[in-house]
Amino acid sequence: MITGTGIVKTFKQRGKVLGAREVMALRGVDFAIPKGGAASFIGESGCGKTTLGRIIAGLETYDAGEIIIGDVTMSSLRPKQRQPHYRKIQLIHQDPYSALNPTRTIHQTLYAPLSLRARQTGRPRSWIEERAAEVLSLVGLDPGTVLARYPHQLSGGMRQRVVIARALTVDPEMLVADEAVSMIDVSLRLGILALLKDLRERLGVSVLFITHDVATARYIGDDGELYVIYRGQVVERGPVDTVIADPVHPYTQSLLSAIPVLHGLERPGEQPVMPLESLDESQSDEGCLFARRCPFRGERCTSERPLLAVTEAAPQQHACFYPERRSVIARPMSEV
Amino acid sequence: MSERSEVTIKQSTAAREAAAPPRKEAPGVRISGLTVVYKTPAGELPAVRDVSLTLEPGSITGIVGESGSGKSTLALSLLNAVQPPGRISTGSVEIDGLGDVVGFRGERLRKARGQHIGYVFQAAQNSLNPLKTVGKQLLDLGRSHGVDDLRGLVREAKELLGRMGLDGARVLDSHQHELSGGMRQRVGIMLALVLNAHLVVLDEPTTALDMITQANILKIVREVHAERGLTTLVITHDIGVVAEVADRLAVMYGGRLVEQGPTRQVLAAPRHPYTRGLIKAIPRLVGDIDEAQALPGRPPTLVTVPKEGCVFRERCALRMDVCDTVDPQARVDEGAYGPRIVACHAVTVKERA
Repeated sequence: MITGTGIVKTFKQRGKVLGAREVMALRGVDFAIPKGGAASFIGESGCGKTTLGRIIAGLETYDAGEIIIGDVTMSSLRPKQRQPHYRKIQLIHQDPYSALNPTRTIHQTLYAPLSLRARQTGRPRSWIEERAAEVLSLVGLDPGTVLARYPHQLSGGMRQRVVIARALTVDPEMLVADEAVSMIDVSLRLGILALLKDLRERLGVSVLFITHDVATARYIGDDGELYVIYRGQVVERGPVDTVIADPVHPYTQSLLSAIPVLHGLERPGEQPVMPLESLDESQSDEGCLFARRCPFRGERCTSERPLLAVTEAAPQQHACFYPERRSVIARPMSEV
Repeated sequence: MSERSEVTIKQSTAAREAAAPPRKEAPGVRISGLTVVYKTPAGELPAVRDVSLTLEPGSITGIVGESGSGKSTLALSLLNAVQPPGRISTGSVEIDGLGDVVGFRGERLRKARGQHIGYVFQAAQNSLNPLKTVGKQLLDLGRSHGVDDLRGLVREAKELLGRMGLDGARVLDSHQHELSGGMRQRVGIMLALVLNAHLVVLDEPTTALDMITQANILKIVREVHAERGLTTLVITHDIGVVAEVADRLAVMYGGRLVEQGPTRQVLAAPRHPYTRGLIKAIPRLVGDIDEAQALPGRPPTLVTVPKEGCVFRERCALRMDVCDTVDPQARVDEGAYGPRIVACHAVTVKERA
């Protein structure tokens, strides 16, 4: 179980021309990802989802709040002492082309973390070779052909599998996949997603999926939770299928309305929501962060910030004064 | 600051003038038997092989393909802009009012680009000059194409940007870094259209954009297409993008066009096993999650693509003996909404039976 409470992160920008300014990347985010479970963060670029993923993986500091891994509170530990805890959480990057050292064979890439592990646990050298072959098989690669190769000799899909295999060498409890398939060829994407899903089921590794594509988030873990993040705030949170089928926050509705409709196979939703203007991060922080773009804003929205809570409008948490269900997503033709 | 005032003065003067741009008609395009080869250590290998495709005047055609399918090379051929080590080896690209651009060279070719054919490059958001304001780049574009009425050009640009929901004056005074990804993409579209081109090629217009921005850009593409009377070609790896904007859908694989037809028909009832696999591999928002199935194998590269026979056979569930040796010919079925074309032995056999 990995939980976070009230995570706050501010980036300070220094600029000669525009002047120094502070960007609130995260404004008090709570999350909880159960062991073996799944969670997805969705939102536009700049919403803070990647920053949150990096904080969870221990690669970024945070200004306030608490991360608890298992039952250990991270802030009570010294940085050095935190390392073994954060090792349980492995980050899979978006870009498998730059995540692997081009001058190392796949064997060398896997050997380094495995030999460290072997030394720590007093295992023999032969274990390293066995385990290297094992993790490659786990991710659906043939060790015999892949081990001796360099990254440039592999396709994007295979490289991403190698990256996942490398993450598995340290027996992680959670994989944080940040847009892990967006640079992979379309026909190979589902294979990588299926692999992550499979690792969850077979190894009990929990998966945190960070994406702007809601459908892929659903594919990885329809039993997990979906967090919709907007300008550093979680604006809607609940079981994946509930949030997709019955979103009540206008921002979630905008995101879902924006998904291309496969005309001929699907019928578009009847009440699509389109934001009034595009995202401008220099907008004032007063009131609801989405108010300026929201077609349904009321007077209260510009002066007061709604907090994430469950109301009568919906069973999932939402941060909106005027939550309302709207039919926004496309439905298959066969269903109607 | 001097640049800023220069552009502003030109705009305000231009706003008073009202010379309408000469109307041009949306051109039709006929690509026939086009083969584009790249020189490699293993000899000249085809990135696009014997492709025939017609863009009807006023239509939006979407080409879907994975990386290495040859879709960008095909699009560049429309401009006769394939760069060495690549070259168009055979075939023709007939554009109404221009002729076969494959034979164009030098000044004639340069004039055709921009004035007749607008191209929005892949990652248009990064293709602007970071040192110059958008307005300066616009003026450069005008001068290099011998536009006499630069004020008119600025007015036209402002109008186009305004049409796309941007503050034209502000954008023209901005440097690239002051614009968001979606805004830069719209600047790319503006630059492609401002010389009054009526054939527009958009290469991956929404890659690297957010969902909401993507939806916005696609809406703009549709509207501008209709308002200005364009013939539009959209190149993408994302079937969803094509589904949103295109009248006709063409699917490319291993340098070959394997299927084409009216978008809705192809999506509702894909015929080629590759098209079927692609559509099946899209995770959906509703329904059974496990309905989404991955396509086995991986796409071929320039070197691994089969020299003879069907390019898709390695990944195909319907593979037959004939697929190894004989290249499937395109079979055309005329329909009420336009022809449906598929190149697959298995489909042909099944329909004859």
